[in-house]
Amino acid sequence: MTRIGGSITKVACCFILILMVSFGFGGKVLALTDDECLDCHGEEDWTTERDGETISLYVDMDMFNQTVHAENGCISCHEDAAEGEYEHPVPLASVNCANCHDQIGEIYENSDHGKAALDNHDELAPNCDDCHTKHNILPPDNKKSSTYPLNIPLTCGRCHREGTEMTQTHDLNQHNVVENYSMSIHGKGLFVDGLIVTAVCNSCHTAHNVLKASNPESSVNRNNIVETCDQCHVGIVNKFKTSVHSKAITSTDKKLPVCIDCHNSHTISRVSQKDFRLIIAEQCGNCHEYESETYFETYHGRASMLWGGETTAKCSDCHGSHNIMPSNDDGSMINEANIVETCAQCHSGANQSFTTYLTHATHNDRERYPYLFYTFWAMTGLLVGTFAFFGLHTILWIPRGLIDKIKGSGSNGKKTE
Amino acid sequence: MDNNEPLYIERFSVFQRMTHLLVIVSFLTLAVTGMALKFAMEDWAQWIAYVLGGFSVLGALHRFFAIVTFFYFFLTMILLYTKWRESEKSLLGFIFDSEGLVPNLNDAKELIATLKWFFGGPRPYYGHWTYWEKFDFMAVFWGIAVIGSSGLALWFPVAFSNLLPGYGLNIATIIHSDEALLAAGFIFTIHFYNTHLRPDKFPLDPVIFVGSISVDELKHERPREYDQLVASGELEELVQRQAPAPWLKRMSTVFGLFVVATGSVLIVSIIITMFSYIGKH
Repeated sequence: MTRIGGSITKVACCFILILMVSFGFGGKVLALTDDECLDCHGEEDWTTERDGETISLYVDMDMFNQTVHAENGCISCHEDAAEGEYEHPVPLASVNCANCHDQIGEIYENSDHGKAALDNHDELAPNCDDCHTKHNILPPDNKKSSTYPLNIPLTCGRCHREGTEMTQTHDLNQHNVVENYSMSIHGKGLFVDGLIVTAVCNSCHTAHNVLKASNPESSVNRNNIVETCDQCHVGIVNKFKTSVHSKAITSTDKKLPVCIDCHNSHTISRVSQKDFRLIIAEQCGNCHEYESETYFETYHGRASMLWGGETTAKCSDCHGSHNIMPSNDDGSMINEANIVETCAQCHSGANQSFTTYLTHATHNDRERYPYLFYTFWAMTGLLVGTFAFFGLHTILWIPRGLIDKIKGSGSNGKKTE
Repeated sequence: MDNNEPLYIERFSVFQRMTHLLVIVSFLTLAVTGMALKFAMEDWAQWIAYVLGGFSVLGALHRFFAIVTFFYFFLTMILLYTKWRESEKSLLGFIFDSEGLVPNLNDAKELIATLKWFFGGPRPYYGHWTYWEKFDFMAVFWGIAVIGSSGLALWFPVAFSNLLPGYGLNIATIIHSDEALLAAGFIFTIHFYNTHLRPDKFPLDPVIFVGSISVDELKHERPREYDQLVASGELEELVQRQAPAPWLKRMSTVFGLFVVATGSVLIVSIIITMFSYIGKH
């Protein structure tokens, strides 16, 4: 019995030893705990040198515990850290967020940011953490989040602010975007009024699917921009869709305007503000060249060019803006039925005769404006005739006057007669 | 009259001088504010609008001095009326007076004599008003009628459209601005030269401000008037020993040169602009 009992004791001892070994060391191999990570990474002043730069290896767990990933342990992202024992391979591989966020990962991969980073290995292209941070990822409705609306222009501005390495090394269509945005009505809404429903970068460009405007898939491509603005400006877009500028109403080979043709993307301003009112005729003139040019020949257009000239009638004051219709449509502001009222906005007491004033007129077009053409040339003839006669008279007088001056008082009419 | 001291004779009464001062101030302001609008696409015009405080200020100044213009037109009519009553002539006799302001056959003769003088002939036998001075005067009459009526149409467009079709305002714009260009161009070049910049007056003839000229000058400049005054014996009555006050002469020169310079700069800007258009087309 003693033998047998001794054998059992030996076996039991061995088994316990094996268990101890496997639980003791094997546990370490299979599940590195956050506490163990923090043995080292909890040291605030722990740093290392990498590519000549001093990098902090400290992870602020108090902060991390407030983030969206607080429930996730270190190794759920840093998978390769788990492979090692107490020390993990250095440096760790980049975290692949797409392991969990697979749908967003796929969108990002196909975006211009993703392609630049993954396909072109552009060091300046943003990875997830460039916008979302690493250990400080907060939900976008948290005021401290890098993706909170108030912080978005700053987050994007880290690269897109004029003068950064990115803007200087990349061929971008638009410049000063962050600066212009800040001065725009959207930017002022955000920064001055703190209105977080105002458009920020990702409202138009999307967060993960950022594509150049030239890409037909882009949210800011001219074919998609109406839908993009429609996210907020529903009423305006509804009006626009029934106007002559809408694809739904007008079928033409010519380019139809979309929101950004009149309202500049990053410098967008309130339509009542003078900087908008001063460029409106040029904006419309991009397509309506003749009307714009001839408008500038009339009183309203001339005055527009002078300081304070924003008050005179601009295209939209008479034609309307989002609801614009051709003059033969009875919904048009310049339709016969409505034009008196339209002029009367400024010219109280306007009547039908008054509305025959030519608001886009040129004296250079004999076919369309014969009265103006002939009046102009009659006046020009008068000017040329008068100046020719008196100009010659003066030119002949100059040498005579000089000679008389040099000679003295000159001869007296009476004496010589 | 055999005294060595120079004698003077009044050419412009205080009333006339004051009227001309109104003409200068209003015409210059009207020209500057109006041309800034006509040439609004030019930098110099935009500068004028900016310096004066903006387009609405230009409009306010332009309308104010339009009223001043109608006012001096009215003053001139009073002056003419008084002169007519004093002259004891019939109305037509006054208007077509051989020494009056309306051009007559003698002016055509004087024009030919002047052209001969330019080519070496004798200085013509000019009277109280030369033909170019008459033209200046008549041009203001004509100008106020044309620019004034078209300007009123543009000032009160709705009222105008009750009388004539609205597109008449487009025609009125062309007439108003081109007639104004003619007026400004004429005054700032031809009138300035004929009156001030010609070699025997250069740089300024202050008579319109100081009022009197020396009898010697009258004798040289306007021999016919001098002879007429001698013949009628009026010269003895009209001459005065009082020379224009030095302060008045100095102020006249400073003010006059300022006006001549301003008008000249404006017209040079316009000429450069117009030549650049002709170059472009």
